[in-house]
Amino acid sequence: MSGGAPVVEIALFGLSSGAVFGLLALGLVLIYRTTGIMNFAHWAIGLLSVVAYIGLTAAGIPGWGAVIISLPLAVAAGVGSYRLVFRKVSRANQIIVILIAIAVAQLFSSLAAFALGFDAFTRLAPWLPVTQVTIAGAVLSANELITAAAAVAIAFGFLVWFRLSTTGRALRAVAQNPEAAMLAGIDEAKYSQIAWGIGSALAGLSLLLVLPHVAGEQGGVLTAFEVSPLGTLLIPAFGAALVGGLVNMPMALVGGFVFGLARELLILAPAPWNGLRSSIAAILIVVLLLLRTERFFTVRQEREALEA
Amino acid sequence: MSADVAVRRPAAEPLPARPRALRRLTPGHVVALLGLLALAALPAAFGDFGFFVGQYVMVYAMVGLSVVVVTGYAGLISLMPYSFAGVGAMVTGAAMASWGWPFWLAAPLAAVATVPVSVIVGAASVRLRGLYLAIATLTAADFLGETFFRWDAATGGETGWTVTRPALGPIDLSGDPAFYLLTLVAAGLLVWMVEGLRTSRLGRAMYAVRDNEIEAQALGINVFKTKLVALVIGGMLAGLGGAFLAALLVTSAPSPFWSPVVQATSILFVTLVAIGGIDRALGAFFGALVVVVQQQIFGGAEFFFAFVGIYAALLLIVLLRFRPGGLVQIGRMQWQLIQRRPAVGTAVAVGVIAVNVGLAWLFVGLS
Repeated sequence: MSGGAPVVEIALFGLSSGAVFGLLALGLVLIYRTTGIMNFAHWAIGLLSVVAYIGLTAAGIPGWGAVIISLPLAVAAGVGSYRLVFRKVSRANQIIVILIAIAVAQLFSSLAAFALGFDAFTRLAPWLPVTQVTIAGAVLSANELITAAAAVAIAFGFLVWFRLSTTGRALRAVAQNPEAAMLAGIDEAKYSQIAWGIGSALAGLSLLLVLPHVAGEQGGVLTAFEVSPLGTLLIPAFGAALVGGLVNMPMALVGGFVFGLARELLILAPAPWNGLRSSIAAILIVVLLLLRTERFFTVRQEREALEA
Repeated sequence: MSADVAVRRPAAEPLPARPRALRRLTPGHVVALLGLLALAALPAAFGDFGFFVGQYVMVYAMVGLSVVVVTGYAGLISLMPYSFAGVGAMVTGAAMASWGWPFWLAAPLAAVATVPVSVIVGAASVRLRGLYLAIATLTAADFLGETFFRWDAATGGETGWTVTRPALGPIDLSGDPAFYLLTLVAAGLLVWMVEGLRTSRLGRAMYAVRDNEIEAQALGINVFKTKLVALVIGGMLAGLGGAFLAALLVTSAPSPFWSPVVQATSILFVTLVAIGGIDRALGAFFGALVVVVQQQIFGGAEFFFAFVGIYAALLLIVLLRFRPGGLVQIGRMQWQLIQRRPAVGTAVAVGVIAVNVGLAWLFVGLS
């Protein structure tokens, strides 16, 4: 904390982590809405991109290029697991679907651990500029600004595309009523795969935004904690998705900011309350679950399609 | 209530098992009993290492039984079985190290201590659909890790409590072979009880709730209560498993129960039980056998996380796609084959077991 205006710094950190939660949540929501599968393997799929990124940057490829080359790996993992596994089981059997999602998460996180070796810490080269800027008397690290801005830009770009493009409309049609969509000539299988592909790309992107930049100027580190089936950031991402009732994307993005800001701003709270920082995500999620947020965002028809 | 009327199979394929009426002793039971006896002696073939691994298998099976009741019987996805085991381990540690209780009193206390946790988690979330419950339990594990497992009065600080292995009167059970036999007996009793639960009135109510809540309600089953009871029983089983885990490790450090390690371990438990067969008590046992033996044979904790993780995940995906009843289902099919064509069936069964035991023996010899 370098004096000046710590509130601004803390808020910015909250915003940047919130943007990443939101981006993760967008992918979760897109996949859930379109195919009715809550992707517990979201984090593990994104990890594959991170592993590829580490390998590529170590081979001397510049960060930007490595990001572009490594994203298709997450896409392939997501689409592949949907085509080969998720699609083959009945959506109605929720237990089996969740068990399979867990198995896929375990598979990809183990593959990532295998590829990384067993170091407790793996260094990641940052690909966004790492400098400091001074705004209104507060010394801010530029990469947090850029992370937040990039995540928001990606999210908005995606939302606009989802709203306006033909593909986005087809995806929404499949989400609302798969049978009617098929009758209208929309290939449900194809668009489900597109949803998984884009969702997985978002997972890879959000991990690549946050992990190389978390430790600031030295570049990020990937700890053994993050190479687990459900990384440290997936729980707030579930929470962010719940803000939008697991189906509403703009609200999921807002939810991401709520979770990010709530966690960081509690640092400023007086003594007994700042202890809540580590469990605030859990508390918020319980509240959201009790509110049954999905009823605010789904029409009856859509709910039935998801629960069928 | 007759078994035929109880549940009509819904259109979608549910988990495969159905509750059957209790039967008299059949050849199947005799084979199972002989198999268990053989299992009790099996570790001896591998020397000290065999008993060392055997204890882990039994303790993992005990914690796995909680997944059988909660997910297999009642159809609730709980991603926090290892947190319950942690509560059990901490309570055992506190009772033994700071109040001087013997293990035989501390272990039941560990089971009982999980009840409030189950009730709070259950009352808040059991009305939720499967997916939401999974998120709720994931979150609850996170919350416990940040509160209870960081509370020094409960955990004995960073290093945890020191736990001594129990003695049965004058008989000392602290050596690996003796402790293995103790865990075998305890796990065997629990498997028998959980199997009994399946065919009981309560177990059938759980199956009915799992297959179709509305139908279960129409049959006069209190859905909320049934789910809550399943969670409580599951929590107690995991708590008891945690007590034995603490005795096995002779310590109870809190760090394995912090997020996200605890969720990863819980997921491992769900995975191993699903491999074994999620709706049968023996499934927990078979799953623990496969995963723990792999884990111990193929070396240290790190390598396990990668290689056995890949192996277990692939095995589970294949099983869920083609044999959702897991290894228990495969075993049952094998038993049917033996009944239809005794020579072929027996040869296949003996061959598969021999190859597996032989491979394990070879690897232990090499390492």
